[in-house]
Formats: sequence, C-alpha cells, structure tokens
Amino acid sequence: MARKPIDWSPSNWPKLLYQFFTSFKVATAVFVLMTLVTLLGTLAQVDQGLYAAKVKYFHSFFFTDKIFGIPVLLPGGLLLMIILTINMILGALVKVRKRWRGAGLLVSHFGMIMLLAGGFVTWAFATDGYMALYPGMSSNRVESYRDWQLEVFPLDENGRAKQSWILPSDELQSIRVDEQRSYDADGLPFHVIINGFTKNATPIPTASIKSSSGKGKEIDGFKLVPQDASKEAEQNLPGAYVAFDPDGEGEGIEAILWAGSYRFDPGEDPMPFPFTIDGQLYGAMLAKKSWNVPFEVRLDEFIFERHPGVSTARNYESRVTRVEGEKETSLEIKMNEPMRFAGYTFFQESFGPSDGKPGEMFSQFAVANNPADQWPLWSLVVTTIGLMIHFCVMLVDFIIRSRRKTAAATQS
Amino acid sequence: MKRLFLSLILPVLALPGIASARDLPKTPLPSYEPWDEEVVHTFENLLVQEGGRVKPLYSVARFTLLQYSGKTTAAFQTADGVDHKLHYAEWLLNVLFKGEVAKDLPVFIVDDSAAVVQIGVSPKSKRDRYSYNELFAGRAKLAELSAQFAEKQKKYQESEKDPQFELGRVEGMILTLGRNISSFEYLLGQFGFARKGELIVNENILPDELIDLAKRLDVVEMLNKMPEMSINQLMQAISTPPGSSQDEIMFSGALRLFFFHANTARGMNLFPPRETDNEVWLSASDLMIEALGDKDARPWAGEQLGKIQSLVDAKNESPEAFAKELTEFSKWQHAISDPRGEGLHSDLEVKMYRGKYFMNSLVCFIFAFVVMAFSWLTPGSKIGKTLIIVASLIALLGLYFNVHGITLRSIIRQRPPITNLYDTVLFITGTAVLLGLLIEYFTRLGVGTLVAILSGVLGMFLSMKYEAKEATDTITQLVAVLDTNFWLATHVTIINIGYAAGLVSAIIGIIYLTGRFVFMLIGRKSKDFFKTLTRMNYGVICFCLFFALVGTVLGGIWANYSWGRFWGWDPKENGALMICLWTLVILHGRMAGWIRDLGVHMNAIVLAIITTFSWWGVNNLGVGLHSYGFTDGVWGALYSTWMIFGAFMLMGVIVWFRERQSKLRKKDSSKTAETLPA
Repeated sequence: MARKPIDWSPSNWPKLLYQFFTSFKVATAVFVLMTLVTLLGTLAQVDQGLYAAKVKYFHSFFFTDKIFGIPVLLPGGLLLMIILTINMILGALVKVRKRWRGAGLLVSHFGMIMLLAGGFVTWAFATDGYMALYPGMSSNRVESYRDWQLEVFPLDENGRAKQSWILPSDELQSIRVDEQRSYDADGLPFHVIINGFTKNATPIPTASIKSSSGKGKEIDGFKLVPQDASKEAEQNLPGAYVAFDPDGEGEGIEAILWAGSYRFDPGEDPMPFPFTIDGQLYGAMLAKKSWNVPFEVRLDEFIFERHPGVSTARNYESRVTRVEGEKETSLEIKMNEPMRFAGYTFFQESFGPSDGKPGEMFSQFAVANNPADQWPLWSLVVTTIGLMIHFCVMLVDFIIRSRRKTAAATQS
Repeated sequence: MKRLFLSLILPVLALPGIASARDLPKTPLPSYEPWDEEVVHTFENLLVQEGGRVKPLYSVARFTLLQYSGKTTAAFQTADGVDHKLHYAEWLLNVLFKGEVAKDLPVFIVDDSAAVVQIGVSPKSKRDRYSYNELFAGRAKLAELSAQFAEKQKKYQESEKDPQFELGRVEGMILTLGRNISSFEYLLGQFGFARKGELIVNENILPDELIDLAKRLDVVEMLNKMPEMSINQLMQAISTPPGSSQDEIMFSGALRLFFFHANTARGMNLFPPRETDNEVWLSASDLMIEALGDKDARPWAGEQLGKIQSLVDAKNESPEAFAKELTEFSKWQHAISDPRGEGLHSDLEVKMYRGKYFMNSLVCFIFAFVVMAFSWLTPGSKIGKTLIIVASLIALLGLYFNVHGITLRSIIRQRPPITNLYDTVLFITGTAVLLGLLIEYFTRLGVGTLVAILSGVLGMFLSMKYEAKEATDTITQLVAVLDTNFWLATHVTIINIGYAAGLVSAIIGIIYLTGRFVFMLIGRKSKDFFKTLTRMNYGVICFCLFFALVGTVLGGIWANYSWGRFWGWDPKENGALMICLWTLVILHGRMAGWIRDLGVHMNAIVLAIITTFSWWGVNNLGVGLHSYGFTDGVWGALYSTWMIFGAFMLMGVIVWFRERQSKLRKKDSSKTAETLPA
C-alpha cells in the first residue's frame, strides 16, 4: 500500500510540527541522544572537571565533540530537555487517548514534567554559595564558589573600607586576556581600566624563568602568568591588570590584582591593593561575588568526630544561633539535617583547616536559595503513583495472559 | 546431543576432586601440633578495634590471611608427610604465639616468580605461595625495592596518573609483597616485649648485646624505672651516642630495646581505654608510650601489659594454662566492652563467617544449575519439569543463604543491607535471584529458574572474587554523609533493585538471542516461546524503570538534603540516569515501531552494559562526589564482560540479517510468481 504524500504547504506546518513533537520517534531519539550526551559528559569530567563538563554538555544547546576522533555536532542537554518537555506535554498529556488503562502513564508523565520544570527553575533562578565561620563569628554574607568581582573602596585612617564600587562578576569575567575596558567608577574620582582578565593565573617575579610565559606588563617586578584551568572550577584563582586613572588619559596607578590575595580562611582578612589618589587612600581587590541573607548566623560550636582510631569522619555538626533583629534561635545544622529559613537552606558542607584541632576549626555551610527546592519530592510522589498504577495494570495483564497460554498448552 | 552434554558436565563435576588431589606445599616443619578447638574458639572471639569498630579477632585473621594469601586457609605438608589445612583463626594464633611455626607456613602469594627473582630468592613455580623464611634471604632487597616502588606509586597519584610513574605488573607485586611481609613482621612482633628475647622479628637489625639484653629485660619493670619522656624525647635519646660508662651503655641499650618493642607492638588494639568517654582502644605499643610519658598511667598500663605477659608465659607452660589465661583475657575484655556497648555483635560476626552462608549459597546455585542442565536432556517431559522444580527449590535455598548472610551483616552493623560496594554485589544477586524465581512462579517455563540460577552463580562468584581481591573488612564504618539509615534503606536499596532488574533483563535477552540463534542454526521454530520471553523481558524492563527512576529521584532528594542541590551531573547520578534513559528508549522505541522483539532483547543487553558501567565503571573514573569503592583491575573485567555481551548481540544481528534475507527472498519469489504466466 502506497503511503500518502506529506503535505508540506505552509498552512500544514502547524499540524506537521504538532505531529513531529508528539511522536514516539522524537521521544526515542531524544532519549538516545540524551544517553549519549550524558555518557560523553560523564567521561569528559575526568579531564575537564565537573563544572566545565556541566557547562559544555548539559547547560548548552549544542556542542561539538570528537567521537572516535571525528568531530561531531551534537545537541546539548538543555535543548534535549526542552524538546523532551514539549514532547511530553503535547504527546503524553494533550494528544494521548484518555482512558482508564492509560491513567497511570498520564500521571507519571505529569510527574516527570514537574521534575523537568523544577530543573529548569533551578537552572534559571537558584543561587548557591557558602558561608564559613569560626566559633564565635557571625555573618549574613554568602560568597560564590566560582564567581569573582572587582571591588574598589576608599579606606579610612584605620584602614577600614567604606562603601565599595563593584564591577560585577559577569562583566569582569567576560573580559578577555588581551582586552582593555575602561569603567567610570561611580563616586570615585578616577577611571578603572582593566587590561585583560585571566581566569586562572599566578603572579610570578620577572626574575623567575617561569614568568616568561606571561605576556602582560611587568608591574613591581611581577608578571601575571596564565595557568591551565583547574578541574575544580572553585580552585581557579583569576588575576587582572588594573589601572586607576584620575584624568582619563589612559595612564595612572597600575597594579596586578590577584584572587590569591583574597582570604582562603574565614579567619583571615583580605589584602587589598592600597593606592592614594588626591590624598585619599583606596583599596582594590578581586573578591568573591557575594550577597546577603536577611538574617545573621552565628556559629556557637563546631563538633567534629572521627570513627575511633581512624581518620574517617563520623559526624560534623554546627550549633548555631540564627539572629533576626532581636530574635535569636538556637539550632543544629548537620549532615542530612539542613536549616531551612526564609527561602534559604544552610547545609553542613565542610570544615577546615584540615590540620585544625577540635574547637579551633571553622565550619562551612552551603547556602542555597532554590524556588524549586521541593519540586523533585512532589514530582517523585506523582510519578511513583502513576508508574505503580500502570505497572500493576501491566502485571495483572501479563499474569492473565501467561496463565491462559499455560492452560492452553496443557489442554493441547 | 546427550553425549555432548555429558562431556561438558562431567569435567565440571570432577573439578573439586582434581583440585584436592594437588600436592600441598612442603614445609621444613617436622610435624604440626594443632591447637585445641576450644582455644581457637576463645581466641577468635577476642575483641580488637580496627577500621573504626570493635570486632572479633576472627575477622582480622580472615582478612589478613586473605590479603597475604588470596585464600582463607593455609595448607601445607609437614616433613612427616602429613597434610594440614589451617583455618585463618588458627593461623593467626600461630603467628602471635608460635611465631617460629608461622614463619614456615607458605602463605605469601606471588603471582609471578619474576618478583621473587628480583629480590634474590629462588623461585618455585610461576605462581606460588612462599613462607616468610623462604623469602627471608631477599628481605633487605625487598625492603629497598618496596620503598622505591612506593615512592613511584605516590608520584603516580600526585601527578594525576602520569604514565611514567605507573607501576609495572612485577613492580606492583613486589610492593604488595613488601607490604605484606612488613605487616606480618608487625604481627610476629606484637607480643615480642613479653617473650624476653625469644623470637625477635628482624633480629639482625639489633646488635648482639641488645639480643642478650632482651633476654633479661622485663618491659614493665623497666617502664617503672624510666623517667617520664615523650616519644620524641625517647627517639632523641636513642639517637644520641651513649657515654662511655657501662651504666650509660646499658641504659642507652635498654632505651633502644624499649623503642624496638614499642614499635613492633603497634597495630593490634586489644585494650579498651581507661576513660569511659574515650572510644579509642590501645595496642601494647600505645600502652608503653602512654606509660612512658605519664608516670601515673604506669600501674594501669603495667597491669594491661602483664595480661599479655601472662598469656605468653602460660603458652610456654602448658596448653591447659594457656587455655585458662586466654579465657580470662577474653572475659576481662568483654567485662569492659559490654557495658561500653562495643563489640556487642562480635559473636554473631564469628557465627556469620563460620556459617559460610555466601559460599553455601554459591554451592546451591551451582548444584541447581547442574540439576537444571539435566532437565534439558528431557525437555517438556514430566522428569524434565520435575527437575526444573527441584532446581528452583535448590535456587530458593541458595537465596535463603544469601538473605540470611545479608541479614546477619545488617544486624552486626545495625544498618540497612547496603553500605558499600561489596554489599551491592550480595544484594543485587539476591534481588536478581528473587526476580528470576518470581518470573518462574508466574510463567512455569524454566526460564525464570535459569535466570535465577545464572544470576546466583555469577553474583556469588563475583562477591567472592571481590572479597578476595580487596582483602579488607567488608563491614565498614560509614562516612558522615552516609550516616542515615533512612536514605540507605530507601534510595540505596531501591536503586540497587533497579540495577538487579537491568541485569536480569540482559540475562533474559541472552537466553532469547542464544535460543533464536541456535534455533536458526538447527532450523527449528518456537514463536510462542520467544513471544513469551519478549513479554517477560518487557515486564522486567518496566520493573527496572520503576526502581531505577524512583531510586534516582530519591538520590536527588537525598543530595538536596545533604549538599543543597538535587542534581549535579555527578558520574554516579549520570550512571543512574542513563539506566532510566535506556529503559525509556526501549519502551518508547517499541511504541515508535523502531524496536521489535529482537530489538527489545538486544537493547536489554545494552541496558546491562550501561548498568555495569554505572555500578562499577563510574567508581573508577576517579571523579565525583559519591563514587565509592575504587577497585584495581575493574576496567579489564568490564571490557571483557562487555565483549561477551557484544558477542550475544552479534548473534542477534546475525539472526536479524538472516530473517531479513529470508523475508526479501520470499518477497522476490512471490513477485516472480505473480509475473509468471499462469
């Protein structure tokens, strides 16, 4: 029987598109490609690290990769998930024939759409950072793991910073190594000129042979030498050539700003680059991008236990006080028992320094703000109910058929 | 056919006989006097703290001998021609109390004689076991090479696996042998301080005058006379040349000897601490060092060390005296540990290992396989059906042993069934067997039983190989993030049920493809049987999807509670996701018309490849937050397994190709018939 030719006229495109997006073939192809992308993204983590692989394979619309040495253009995880969501909404919820036998599938697909929607909301709107405190310290400032910003601020006679001018991380990190950008710093009597930003770099004395790979200018006997990006994106220490120019003529006080001068330990103070313009002392530094939560957290005690006689950590927990204005609430944050408050969640993440003695260690919390925090749980409940209904129907059907077959075989 | 079958089965049945007929390695020991059973029983129930928990010495003995020998028994022949096979507990009893005997027992496995040649020892066969005394001639060279290779291995790890620092096969063997010999020497030297000069390990490193002094030196007495000093001060004192007077030389020698004993007595933590709030048990070495630094601790430490002295003295006195002292020591340990809540399940742990549940389980599955194989001689007959039922019952018994062992392990550590990679092997095997038997219950075709038996044999064999390879305690303490029985019981258990279903699906696929291939070769057809297999596999794939999906999402929810993010594209998470995705490929591909019966089974094998990658492979990528259980040599085993899977898929391709050709031929011939004039 000859197939009916496809009507490609523009008036028929909506129908064709609908047919395309609701087809099982598209769903199957997306699943195959998603498996391939997941595999490639997993294997790539060995060489590229988790963050870089995540951005390339899963947070992208397209990417190129070599498969058996041949470069191939492939759809990224983001594109595939968007297609899958459309496919599920149109195919499994709208187009599907509504009947009791298929109720389980309908419910389970709805649960999966919820899960994907939650993933999208998380990707688009969630923030994550950390807060590290020694016992007795309190803070409401959360810092980013990977993003760095430029802060320039006047210093008072005691060396304390007044309000800062900040070049946001998105802007700063978009500057290439060989690019120059000039900024008019609001409220400050000079321009800030950036002569190249390097994502991972080390300032090396020009006397050292290692400095020869640094192409930038020599400042105070140092050059900024680019380093390979670390597999752990959190470990990258960026650097930039910065000039503070009072008259806007392209010259001024030059400096190498390096993230290594920022604190590595919550007990340390950052070391800004100091300079004086018009008799006023200023400081400038690369600092972690930060934001504030609407309450303070004070670490009262950090408890760290190992299994007896071995170095394996058995438990680490923080006794904290949450301060909201006058109100103080004491609570514990430990592994698998986070603190959820005002849309933020504080998780017991880490501790340090590694050679610290009990009572002298800092505690680090991962701080997340995710509007879709609980969506996976709800979607799991919905999907599980749907799948259980469907598979029970399938199982009963299978058993009845098998029994019939066996009975028929016995009779014959 | 029957003759072919028997020729295949009979050698398998004869294997144990062939193995037992092998000559045991000879030792220069004139004879061997076994320990009294009661003594061994008391000894194996002694408590020791190791790996963060208090456990029976039995477990330490088991994994130590496994580490040295790759086996849990020490078999040898004495000069009087008598064969002996020592259980690991008895072997450790010899090491601690009859060191001269232990040094002659061939327990150090060397996989390639090139390793012993390099240290200047005469090789035996290509792969053989050596005694300490046989290797002693190469001890110095072994120490030198081990240190060299350990440094190379460190550089390899620090350089993120730079190939120039990768150890060669023989180098790896020498390093392992060096570590095992060193560990053995520590065991020999545990109670050296109480032996008064008898059997000093590595005595050639001590000058003659110290060996003489050792015969006269009572460590406890000496401790009481020494000034308070830290271990650093002691090391400084012994590194300073003594004065010229006899007293100064004597004092310096005594200090050196004290340090020697304290050093060799490290590692076996037999003594509960004094303080009730302290959880760290002490070794004889810890007692000596603590007493050295604190005069107030000396009476207590002396009392503890005296217990070992009494044991050693009693052993020299008579077997009865030793049995009595050992019982006293055990009672003393339990009197302290029981109120502290430590080692409460140690007797159960001994019973678990003594019960050999997992070995019994494997034996049952092998036996069930043999019975099942006999059923194939008379397929469809009453006898054949009866044999399948018998095989199913034996497999059920195998499952009982598996579940019993898993339950005991759960009780011992007070945790859900899975806490580490070894547990996953046991659990997945049990689940796969149960699934197979349930399929059999519903279908009564014999296929479910075969699936159960194959899963059981492969899984239990894998568990044993893994235990022997790792040779470390499989009841491990959990890191802080895993310290949650709720998530271990839900996410971990459920995802492993998903893994089991993925593997069962592949076994059904293999049975289907093999069947189709064989039937194609012999020109037989059984459409209904294969249709039933497809429906069976479809059901298992649905089952796999349900558990893999729920398990994966539960894992995400756990990650959200622990780390603040639901999904991080971590390799372990991705592995689980790929299992879900591939089951969805099969289910949707079937509905899209892209996958038919043959495709379902071939894709089930792809599902198993993904499952094994997720189960074992991602752990060995060396990245990710929650990859667990890095194991050497896994990639080789995985590649081999995937090649075997590939071979079955090739069968499927051949069947598909032949069917396609035959359909085309039919089409052509019908066309030709239509065009021919009537």
